Amino acid sequence: MGKEIVAMILAGGRGTRLEALTAKVAKPAVYFGGKYRIIDFPLSNCANSGIDVVGVLTQYESVLLGTYVGSGTKWGLDGSKSLAANLPARERGEVGATWYAGTADAIYQNISFIDQYDPEYVLVLSGDHIYKMDYDVMLEAHKEKNADATIAVLNVSIEEASRFGIMNARKDGKIYEFEEKPKAPKSTLASMGIYIFTYKTLRKYLIEDATKVDSHHDFGMNIIPAMLKDKKNLFAYEFNGYWKDVGTIESLWQANMDLLHDTVLDLYNYKKDWKIYTEDTLEKPQIIGEEAEIKNSLITQGCYVNGEVSGSVLFHGVRIAKHAKVVDCVLMPGVIVEEGAEIYKSIVNENEIITSNSCINSKAKKVVLVSQ
Amino acid sequence: MKKTIGIVNLYSNVDFMGLTKRRPVASVSFLGRYGLIDFALSNMSNSGIDAIGILIQEKPRSLFKHLKDGHSWNFNSKAGGVSLLYNEKYVNHTKYNNDINNLLENISFLENIPSDYIVIAPAHIITTIDYNKVVQAHEKSGAEVTMVYKPILDANISYVGGQILHVKKGEVKAIELNKGVKKAANICLETYVINTKTLLQIMRQAKDISTFFTLKDMFAYVCDERKIHAYEYNGYARCMDSINAYYKYSLELLNVDVYSQVFSNKWPIYTATNDTPPTKYLKHSDVKKSFVSNGAMIDGTIENSIIGRNVVIGKGAYIKNCILFNGSKVAGGAVLENVIMDKSAKIEKQIKLAGHMDAPLYIQDGDIV
Repeated sequence: MGKEIVAMILAGGRGTRLEALTAKVAKPAVYFGGKYRIIDFPLSNCANSGIDVVGVLTQYESVLLGTYVGSGTKWGLDGSKSLAANLPARERGEVGATWYAGTADAIYQNISFIDQYDPEYVLVLSGDHIYKMDYDVMLEAHKEKNADATIAVLNVSIEEASRFGIMNARKDGKIYEFEEKPKAPKSTLASMGIYIFTYKTLRKYLIEDATKVDSHHDFGMNIIPAMLKDKKNLFAYEFNGYWKDVGTIESLWQANMDLLHDTVLDLYNYKKDWKIYTEDTLEKPQIIGEEAEIKNSLITQGCYVNGEVSGSVLFHGVRIAKHAKVVDCVLMPGVIVEEGAEIYKSIVNENEIITSNSCINSKAKKVVLVSQ
Repeated sequence: MKKTIGIVNLYSNVDFMGLTKRRPVASVSFLGRYGLIDFALSNMSNSGIDAIGILIQEKPRSLFKHLKDGHSWNFNSKAGGVSLLYNEKYVNHTKYNNDINNLLENISFLENIPSDYIVIAPAHIITTIDYNKVVQAHEKSGAEVTMVYKPILDANISYVGGQILHVKKGEVKAIELNKGVKKAANICLETYVINTKTLLQIMRQAKDISTFFTLKDMFAYVCDERKIHAYEYNGYARCMDSINAYYKYSLELLNVDVYSQVFSNKWPIYTATNDTPPTKYLKHSDVKKSFVSNGAMIDGTIENSIIGRNVVIGKGAYIKNCILFNGSKVAGGAVLENVIMDKSAKIEKQIKLAGHMDAPLYIQDGDIV
């Protein structure tokens, strides 16, 4: 029996604008929210949406990310018929070694993986985004509309629209035009890079696209326009929750701060049964010292805090000595802030030491990345 | 290489009153994120033992849920693993429901995993013993049984009802009940290494003496007949033999010098993950000298306390010397001192509740006050 749906997460990107944070790690493996890596969000969404076969397409620094994904146990994707599979670009019998030339090519190169499960539908996701979404509801919409492709969209402001791929759709959601980063946007429905395809149709388009020499082998640039040209049924599916592409140091910092100030992402599971699963780091208990002062912060297990912390997000193994002051910061795993040190509005990379009595970014005008 | 397997023995007379009404001592929450049994299991895991049997005395539900297939403690789920040894036949008969009868009922565990040595450890005595070292010393001694003991100076108030060992030249010469009279004593940590063959012999021998004999009784009995090696351990050891001891020793770990005896990067303590987000400290939070678990949301004052997962502390609440179990809630303005709040209990009113340092006030799981 075939699976109803298989998910494929595009996780090959480097995320160059994250600077030193992605020097040795693919963007989906970048830490977020005091405990998680970015890819935990799409993977947990899959698990919570009842999708149990997930391919993770890796390219840049695929070893760390692939090891992290493992067989999917962290997200409960480890039954006898469920898994997360690491699918790096590889050497293949008929064509030899190739990289993934584009998002569509990455899926094309793994048609044999998808075929094994004989699915009706394929969900294509990006591994770079922070959000909670029930893909099952989107799938219901896809089926109801008898669509060939359903594209999740976010209603952005008209100013922002020029930064996104914009879907121009009729009232019923049927897409008649797609414009990549339009100068004069006609609509504000921005593609979130989340697609559900009827697999039979997608498979045909992927195989055709692979033969075209002038194609970028990209969903936005090639596959979606080709489908529109053939008058296929493409529908926009509007998403109303919190969604963030954390592509820059500034946006990564902001997304971490969002966790302190609002409950839109609902990390604390006020709406039941939508936990974000992640690695269990086997840390010691979180211990708060006698001289600690903590306000408006997220602090996780394995931290030791004996100084002043406000408006900050602390990952496992962070140590804050007494008389130290940490304000509006994101401290990645293993960061040590020594006695009397002060640090403001910064992201501090893994295992950095902020030495005793030093002072970093005290003017706090712009977010800085502290990394060796 | 010689093969060692582990047995965590949950048979004991210890109970924590309300805390163990529906769960065994082994799965009582400890330091916010552990179960008491995690220490014995982690010690076994860290000692390279990968096949474990757990002798379950009673109330196994929460234990099954916590342990699953032993994945969290690194036990290989195919080559080793955790076997839950439950004695359905005798569970309602206090005298027959003892560890020897349980092992005999579940003898296939010992038969199916061929081994040379067996390490037996309790769940309610918290230690960080490297069993590997004990096995090595056992092997070297040539004895059939090794008992681990710790020289202590407060035997008058701790391990009362436990066993005092009389040790001479590294051998156990006599075993005496600790009546709480002496202060200095070599106290038995109920941790043993025994040759597998010897254990099987002792179990059969026990049947000829008394059906009600436990392993502890048998070790005392064979002390005269066989050489018992004594292994001295001087690391952290605390016997959680009552709710008051549990409370006292839990809060004691908030002192850095005690804490650092237990937690080191070389000897991790494993537990089951709960997938809770980091602790959220809000605008009015003021937390000092405490353990705080993930998923908690804090907007009040906390001192010298242990806060479990998903605990919610309202604005202006004051918590001192308390242990709050997973999912408990304290409304803003409430004042709690020397209180143990069991799972999901709720303080909804702005009241003041106080226990005593030697006798904490216990609030039952799910209760609303």
